This record gives sequence, structure tokens and C-alpha cells, in this order.
Amino acid sequence: MAILLSFDIDGTLELGDPPGGVTTEMVRKAHEVGFIIGSCSDKPLSVQRKIWEDMELTPAFVSAKHQLGKVKRENPADAYYHMGDRDTDYLAAKDNDFGFWWAHEAAEQPWLEFDMNNHEQIPISPM
Amino acid sequence: MAREVNWERNHDPVGIWNGRGKAVLIGRGHSPTDRRWDGETLEKSLGAYMMIAVQNALDDVGIGLDDVDGIIGSAGGQGNGAPLSDVWGPRPYFDAPYDSEDGLTHVTGQWLRQQMGFKNLRYINNHGDPVWNLIGQAAQAIADGRAETVVVTYPNGNLPGRYHQDPSNEARGPAVWPNTWGWGLSGQGFTFNQYCQKYGTNHDRMAPFVVQERKNGLLWEHSYYAQHEPGEFTEEDYLNGRMIARDLSIFDCDRPVLAAAAYVMTTAAKAQDMKQKPVYILDHTESQFTPRSLVQTIDDTEEWTDIQAQRSYNGSGLKPEDIDVFAPYDGFAVFTQYYIEAFGWRGVKRGEAHDFYAGDISLKGPNPLNSGGGNMGTGRMRTVFITDPLEQLQGRAGDRQITTKAEVAVTHGVLPITAGTVVMSTSPD
Repeated sequence: MAILLSFDIDGTLELGDPPGGVTTEMVRKAHEVGFIIGSCSDKPLSVQRKIWEDMELTPAFVSAKHQLGKVKRENPADAYYHMGDRDTDYLAAKDNDFGFWWAHEAAEQPWLEFDMNNHEQIPISPM
Repeated sequence: MAREVNWERNHDPVGIWNGRGKAVLIGRGHSPTDRRWDGETLEKSLGAYMMIAVQNALDDVGIGLDDVDGIIGSAGGQGNGAPLSDVWGPRPYFDAPYDSEDGLTHVTGQWLRQQMGFKNLRYINNHGDPVWNLIGQAAQAIADGRAETVVVTYPNGNLPGRYHQDPSNEARGPAVWPNTWGWGLSGQGFTFNQYCQKYGTNHDRMAPFVVQERKNGLLWEHSYYAQHEPGEFTEEDYLNGRMIARDLSIFDCDRPVLAAAAYVMTTAAKAQDMKQKPVYILDHTESQFTPRSLVQTIDDTEEWTDIQAQRSYNGSGLKPEDIDVFAPYDGFAVFTQYYIEAFGWRGVKRGEAHDFYAGDISLKGPNPLNSGGGNMGTGRMRTVFITDPLEQLQGRAGDRQITTKAEVAVTHGVLPITAGTVVMSTSPD
């Protein structure tokens, strides 16, 4: 199965401004497990790319937050998740039929509980 | 609107300023630039940073505390002297004996006097206006003999949490229209949208301007971006910015930061004994307007900026072609074109600014607009609008030094609805 994880940066990743609870190590592990990973943030695309360089990881995508739908179109997968700390993250996920975790939930790495051979996307919860 | 000691020059015809050439802007000092204050670390508070900036400004011109007899400042970089914490980051006082935010999220002249040990102050004013008005007020105070050597203080900060959130759950009166869509932003986009419709242009044509400002800002050592995010900001970045209101991108908005700056202003006579070259204030003018309807329109905007630009030309006796260094405010990038067109800098007429942006506005080119980078290139400090023209005229802007003539500078801000313009020159005449 292909499962895509979209990380917001500010307030979500530890390298964000402000820092969030999702560490570089958590992102690296998600990558190693086989998730399709990338960022979807209000940060400039060039800054997002620099952050991935700093994490020494190659993302499948970097995108502006309002372009989450484009990420879906360009990255075929069986399930899609976005995580972030703002209403705008939630709404972007909802509008594009992504599953969603708030940043503090994402810091618990819920994706590590997934069965990578048999997973059905968890519907987004009401805000 | 005239206030306080009626120092503002805002009634037409203003006439040539009677203080012309009497007051000098000569030195500057800056603190480190941070993204925000954590609310706890005292050595990184606005008060601590303001003291660093004041000391750096005094060192810049080679004077001591005892040489200063005036402090004019904005306690928190907010209008009417409001503390930063009152505006969008309400916070409780520290435990007793603290009973004030003075020295933490805002900084008064009285606090600085006590903390730094100024002994000879005879004029303190925490008027609280934007930095252009403060420079104008200090120039007027010096010209009027209220003080001879003034430190102008401008702390501007940021706290954790959402910037400029309106804590109210209600929107009454005229606020019913814009506030349901967020603080002030929809109005900026609305006016810009009208501008685009009126002149057949579009938001994407802003890109060359914002990208150039970010380039310029990376060359200013006090810029937030130079210190913390030194990568290149590209046209791709700008064009992919999320729209947070119609025709207003997230990259049209300055990034809130925490920093302090101080300026030394003095008399033309005393300036001769200081370390830096004097830059003479030729004129200051101010304005404040009221929308004719519930929201500001493009017609309001063009009328107001025309009035203020003409007021400045009348007060200084200059013509557009006399301006070498032009620094129009850009806290929202989408309103800078109103100023360029009102002042007619480099011959730009109404509706032509985006064509101007598409030409050569590079730092070393013929039209080095906002050579300091503006707020877009430095963060929401506003002080680059004073420091950069000062340094350009003093010939010490380093890598930012423009290659065209730098003898007369005009800096202008903050909003079309309320503005101050300062005219500086290497010559008092």
C-alpha cells in the first residue's frame, strides 16, 4: 500500500517556527517505514526545501498549504493524511479528503500503528 | 489630527518648514532581531533590547548618556503608546513586585532613564506613533529648542500566539464588514483589487517588487531574514503564496519580529562634534484621514496619498526629480504602489507602478526602490525605513550602497490613512 503523510512545518515540526512536537527522527522513521512524505506549509517553497535538506531527507513533495489537492493529484496513494496546528491545516485536509491529525496528535506518531498491507484511510473528525 | 504639543505639520498649506536644516539625524543603533519574545527571558525582552539599541546608537556617534537631554519614543511600537501586550498578546504581570509591563513588552523613556542612568533629560515623550512620526517629532522638538540631543526609541515586538487576533467575539458598527473576515486584511486586499481593476493589472505583477525587497533585505545585517532565514526568496515562492484575503497573499504581509532600534538626533551645531556625517532634516509632514464610507476605497487611498505627497513637496520645496533615495512603506506590500505613484518618484504616474516593478528596480540599477529591503525584506521592524536612508546619505550602507546619487532621501509611512513623511539631505539647504 502507499500511504502519504503531509507535514505542516510551523508549529508541527521541531524545525518549525514555532517548533512543534514532531521530531526529525519521527519524520525519518516514517520515511524508512515506507510512507510517502512531504511538507505542505505556508512557508516559501524554497524554505521548505531547505528544511528537508537540513533533515537530510528527500521529500516526495513540497507544497503551499492551499495546494494540498495538487499534492493528491500528483502523488497517487491509497490513503492521505495531513497534520498541522492551525484551522487552515484542518480545512485544507477536509477540503481535499485527507485524514488529519492535530500537531499534538501527530507527535504521538499514530501512523506507526497502521498495517501497511491493509489500511483504510481514517475519516477526518469534526473540528 | 494635531495632538500633544501640536507639533505635527498637517494643515495645508504647510509652507517651508521653519526648522529646515536645524535638526540632524546622525546615528543609529540596533538590537539583535528575534522572531518573538518567550515571555520569560529578561535579557531578550524589549526593554533589554531597547537598552542595547540605545547604547549602540550612542556609541555610533561617540557620545555618552550625559550628552542626551531628550528621549522621544514609541513605548511598544504601537499607536498611542499602547503596550505590545495590550494589542494582541495579553499576558498577566509577573508576580509581585512587578506591577507593569514597562521594560518587558513596552519601554518608556522614564524606564530607560532609570535603567540606563540618563541624568540630563529635560524632555521625555512616549508619544507612540510610527517611527516616521517620531523622527518628525524629534526634529520639531530640536528645532523648537525643547532638547538639543534626542534619542528616538522604537521597540517593536512579537509574542507567542496569533498576531493581531481580535479577542472580541462581536463585530459592531463598521467593524461588521471587515472584522468577520479577520483583522484588517480583507480591506487591504479590497483596495488592491480595486486598483487592479482600475488599471488593468493583477496581483502576480507584484512579484518583482517583493522579490527585490527580499534580496535587498538580506544585505542588511539587522534583517530577520539575514540573521535567521538567509536563503533566496524567489518569484516561485511569491506566486505560490496562500491568499489570505482576495488579492492579498501571505507574502504581502510583513513577518512580525522582535527588535529595537534607537536614533540619535541633534542640532546642526552639535552634530559637528559627533563621529558620523550629519544628515539634515529638511522637512517633516503628517496626515490622518477618515474613509468616506465604511471601508477605505481606492478613491480614498489615491486622494489621501496625493494630499500627503503634495504636503511633503510643499514643506520641503523639493520636486520628484530631487529624490535620490526613496523609501515608501510596505508593511502590506500591496499598498507601496500608492505612495510611489503619489510622489511620482522616477516619473511613475497613477497606475504605472507595476510596469515600474517590471523594469530595473535592482539595488545597483537606476531605480533602487527601498534599498534597505523594507519590511518585506527585514521583518516587521519598520526601522530600516530610517536606518537605510540615513546610511545611504552617509555613504556607509556597505553592500547596500546604491550606485546612483544619494544626497536627498524621502521616507514615508505608515498607512495611506495615517502617515508621516521625513525628508533628509546631506546639505542643510
